[in-house]
Amino acid sequence: MIAARALLLSLFVVMVSSASGWAAGVKAKAEVSCAATAKPLEYDCAIKLSDARSGAALTGVEVTVGADMPSMPMAHNVKPVKATPGSEPGTYRAQIKLEMHGDWAVKVDLAGPVRDRIVKSMRFEPKP
Amino acid sequence: MIPFIQTTLDGVMVGSSYGLLALGFALIFGVMRRLNLSYGPSIMVGAYLGTLLYIQFGAPTYVVAIVAVAGSVMAGVYVERLCFAPLGVGAGVASMVSSFAIWMQLEQASLLMLPRHSYPFPSLTSGELLSVGPLVVRPDYLIMLAAMLAITAALHLLLYRTRFGLGLRAIIENSVAASLSGIDVRSTMLKAFALASAIGGVAGFLVLSANQQVTAMLGMWATLKGLIAMMIGGLGSIPGAIVGGLVLGVIEVHSQTLFGPQVRDLAAYGVLFVLLVLRPGGIFGTAAVSESAAHRGGDRWTTT
Amino acid sequence: MDDHLTGILSNIGVISFVALSAYLLLLTGEISFGQQAFFAIGAYTAGIVTAMWQLPFWLGLGAGAAAGGAAALFVGLPTLRLHGLQFAIATLAFAEAVRILFELFRYQVVRAGEPVGPNGIEGFRNIRYIFEHDVSATQFMLIIYGLLGMTLFGFFLLERSRLGVAFRMIGQDGLLAAAQGVPVFRVKLMAACLAGAIAGLGGGLYAHLTTYVEPAIFDVMLGVHSLAYGLIGGLGTAFGPLLGVVIDIGLLESTRWFAGYRMIVFGGLVAVLLIVRPRGLLDERLVHRIRRLVSRRPPPAPTNAAVLGEEPS
Repeated sequence: MIAARALLLSLFVVMVSSASGWAAGVKAKAEVSCAATAKPLEYDCAIKLSDARSGAALTGVEVTVGADMPSMPMAHNVKPVKATPGSEPGTYRAQIKLEMHGDWAVKVDLAGPVRDRIVKSMRFEPKP
Repeated sequence: MIPFIQTTLDGVMVGSSYGLLALGFALIFGVMRRLNLSYGPSIMVGAYLGTLLYIQFGAPTYVVAIVAVAGSVMAGVYVERLCFAPLGVGAGVASMVSSFAIWMQLEQASLLMLPRHSYPFPSLTSGELLSVGPLVVRPDYLIMLAAMLAITAALHLLLYRTRFGLGLRAIIENSVAASLSGIDVRSTMLKAFALASAIGGVAGFLVLSANQQVTAMLGMWATLKGLIAMMIGGLGSIPGAIVGGLVLGVIEVHSQTLFGPQVRDLAAYGVLFVLLVLRPGGIFGTAAVSESAAHRGGDRWTTT
Repeated sequence: MDDHLTGILSNIGVISFVALSAYLLLLTGEISFGQQAFFAIGAYTAGIVTAMWQLPFWLGLGAGAAAGGAAALFVGLPTLRLHGLQFAIATLAFAEAVRILFELFRYQVVRAGEPVGPNGIEGFRNIRYIFEHDVSATQFMLIIYGLLGMTLFGFFLLERSRLGVAFRMIGQDGLLAAAQGVPVFRVKLMAACLAGAIAGLGGGLYAHLTTYVEPAIFDVMLGVHSLAYGLIGGLGTAFGPLLGVVIDIGLLESTRWFAGYRMIVFGGLVAVLLIVRPRGLLDERLVHRIRRLVSRRPPPAPTNAAVLGEEPS
């Protein structure tokens, strides 16, 4: 039992000492607006990305859009879709398909030259 | 002084709905010694069916009420057959988790029927406030209080003046002895379940008609409120359920008046927690539920 | 590795922590609806330590686990002497109270011109440690599984130790265990503390994985789910709750064509499963049979003498 504890402790120390180095990344800011399409539970989302510090538009970024319901984490997991660049620099479009209406946390994942994740809380209600 | 009495009166009104919900819980727990986590959702199914008729076909209020109660009973029987009847004595945790799984099932089925967050619900009265001296009373809530008293009286008659009630009380006392005395335990449990669901359906209908709307949170709300009220009043005790519901209502309304809506729920949970720690039996329940469970000879709640 | 798959596996890893937390308490016969509170406390604590106080990641995780354990101790002391359902409801009340407290909790610091920190109902955003320090999604997943592996190893040791046997003894019959000399209350408290720490650790990982937590996430649903995972996957081994998590989140992904009916299908499956196997898939009997198949000689049944401290000759 004691030997096992020592093993666990040493594993822990190794993991701590191999912590990754410091790198200041770019922090991104996103504006997300989603409009309902003809099909129920499908939404067209327009995303505008900019640098949080300088305000410059972020172009050429790989954007993936996903969504999760805060009240039931990981109970739905909308399949993340890759966004296509829009006409203006820093804008992207994606079409997401939700499983039900209500409050969702839309996740905008950035890869490519800039790595970040922005989460926006939005409510989706059916059209009256 | 008057505002205090007014607030307390409001609390009693709200509390009567909690009391009815707790009554259903207490009936099921008293008879089966298990917690039915699908209780709220089965009420939701009934309420949603009623709402559907109301919205799609403009059904009159009494039809909505009948459908709401009938729907709750159907859902309750479904839960009993699937989660409680097949699992033997002692598989308490398994049936509880099973009822939780069916909670999710019933909730999703309801939301498929009516996906929006809230819908209008027919009301019983015009909504004009009644004045009783310096106090103001909402007639819908007065109806709820009257219904609660009527149902409690009817239940008392049922339990103490009918054979079915005698069988029920026998099972609550000791299910093994009851079955040895020739009482059909399984069939009585099913009927008790149906009765509890019917009471829940009535409670749900009255609350929704008082609020004139139904929201998607109905299932969770009914389960939590009923559970808390039952625990405050005493586990499995039927008079305790009523008292617990009234106490919960009064605490909630006073907290909301003093501190705001968020603290209202916090106060309810806080009081429940403190009560459980200081007096686990609740106001009316036995102080040691485990002892009576031990006398049952193996019908322990936590083991399989 | 495909980002989507990494995401799913990371989710499975993190949720396993809270499932293991509920499982540990279930071993001692206590049903807890409240482990999500320690998950929340761990998440917020770890987030505050890294995002607001700008301290290293491991410190944040450690603080989260410690906070979870401390809170569990604080709650366990008055409640563990309660029985069955009363304990369950007390934990539920505690967890919901904690959730509402987080809805009222505001603590913000300005970093790089923007407020960072828990903001009541809106939650805690921008826990961006893994982005600020260039940890890739795959690396983080490996961190999660590394810690999960260490936790499972801990469970493995526990099951073979006197303490683990004491846990199961109390779970079977607390009165009998006490009569055998097991200090029931202290052992249950230890279990609660460990369970709280495990949940707290998972919470810290969750906060950094999603970079965003809000009080609505830590509701009753999460609590009952974590209990359900153990019941579905089996209570015979720590892999049981893991199996439960994999089944749930795995079924999530595979029954995508069930779309709006997923809960209906899954709920029904669970109910039927519990009729057939009330102690889960990997229940104690099955695990015992597997152990007998695997080892050359059957494992010795734990004797009371071993628990009382006398060495078997």
